[in-house]
Amino acid sequence: MHRPSRRQLFVGAGLAAGAGLGGLFRLAGSSARGAPLLRPPGARTESDFLAACVRCGQCVEVCPFETLKLADLGQGLSAGTPWVDSRRIPCYLCQGEDELLCIAVCPTQALEPVADTREIRMGLAVIDTEVCFAHHGVICRSCFQACPFPFEAIVFDESLRPIVVEDVCIGCGLCDFACPTEPSAIPIVTRGEGRPS
Amino acid sequence: MKEKRFGSWALLRRLTAFAFLGLLYLGSLESVAWFRGTTTATRLLDFVPFGDPLAALEVTLATRELAVDLLLGAGVLVVATLLLGPFFCSWVCPLGLVLDLNQALKNRLVKRWRRYRWMHLSLPRDWRLLVLGLALGFSLVGGLPLFQTVSPINIVAWSLVFGAGLPLLLVGVIAVVEWFAPHLWCRTLCPLGGLYSALGRRALLRIRVAESQVTRRRCRQCTLSCPMDIRVMEEEVVACHSAVGDPDCTRCGACVDACPERVLGFGIESATTDRAS
Repeated sequence: MHRPSRRQLFVGAGLAAGAGLGGLFRLAGSSARGAPLLRPPGARTESDFLAACVRCGQCVEVCPFETLKLADLGQGLSAGTPWVDSRRIPCYLCQGEDELLCIAVCPTQALEPVADTREIRMGLAVIDTEVCFAHHGVICRSCFQACPFPFEAIVFDESLRPIVVEDVCIGCGLCDFACPTEPSAIPIVTRGEGRPS
Repeated sequence: MKEKRFGSWALLRRLTAFAFLGLLYLGSLESVAWFRGTTTATRLLDFVPFGDPLAALEVTLATRELAVDLLLGAGVLVVATLLLGPFFCSWVCPLGLVLDLNQALKNRLVKRWRRYRWMHLSLPRDWRLLVLGLALGFSLVGGLPLFQTVSPINIVAWSLVFGAGLPLLLVGVIAVVEWFAPHLWCRTLCPLGGLYSALGRRALLRIRVAESQVTRRRCRQCTLSCPMDIRVMEEEVVACHSAVGDPDCTRCGACVDACPERVLGFGIESATTDRAS
């Protein structure tokens, strides 16, 4: 019978230990991955994205608006992956460019091509009615005016208060960036594990 | 002790590693569009991809898909390693450069360092394969390229290109530990180095041993200089090998620099043959 060499034994032992740890990680599920981050346009669902992203940072380098940031070890297993802090700089959908540059440079398709910017599902804007000026009788349309799809992603109710249309909002964060309250009355939340439709 | 000759290969390999770091930095500037990326994947002229073979393996196992761009880029480095051996470790790796300079600094400060040999802690070299297996196993089952997330090699590149500061602590810890356990990371822990060594077993570029070696005095300078702790004199030169056959040799040229008799030099050798002694 073939006797494994010392080297093969070491690789084998490592594989077994790694597989064991990986299994534990799988069982722990999303809690082990830490707080979900807002991802660039075209990103796969969080767990698929973390698997496919090779942490090369090319998307961060090409982003013309410096929207994308590289997560560091403080953000746990997301270290080296791109994320968006829309309150700091939102995603301007590569205005003035021919294509979405981050998706174009991604070597692993962790960011998948989208046929139209309307298909992007980075996240979802959620209005905090406690904070929103318009919900307290002040006339404010900042989010509506910033929105790339006004009258579609953000509409108004009969009292001229903004409402986000979940099926249309792409999560670019332009509204979050424009909101005059502090903290923002319209933060962007991630869309969770389920494949956004 | 004989005065050490000017280390020309050491200078050259530090220059190439610096050049790579410089390239990564340039690539991050907005005005430079012809180079992009960090250690795991880079792209030259928007067309030629380079990829880290270990990163490519991990992502492939984690996604169970073939990412053509990344695999093509990794192919470039795999072919280079098949021909040149694990040259990446000593000639390109940013962490290798940092740790190499760290070691040089220590050797300069602790002048008579051989008195401190008792602090020469070490682990078996095969541990690199253990870590390699660990990284691959985790990728396959856990679905996450774990090593690429914590790799101190990537951290050096991220810090330079994106200014990440906190993770540099990890590199600092390794640097401090290596004062007491020289070359611990590269020699016994780095899974990428383990992979490159395995790939480069039959490489053509080798450290050649001159025919006339038998008559030389046995000063052991090559063995003492080797960062991978290969016993160059005992197991290669005196054993009458035509070239250094140890797969972990990173072709750094430290032994070539150290040899006072010019017995060692770079050469093309398809296989290391035993010479009749």
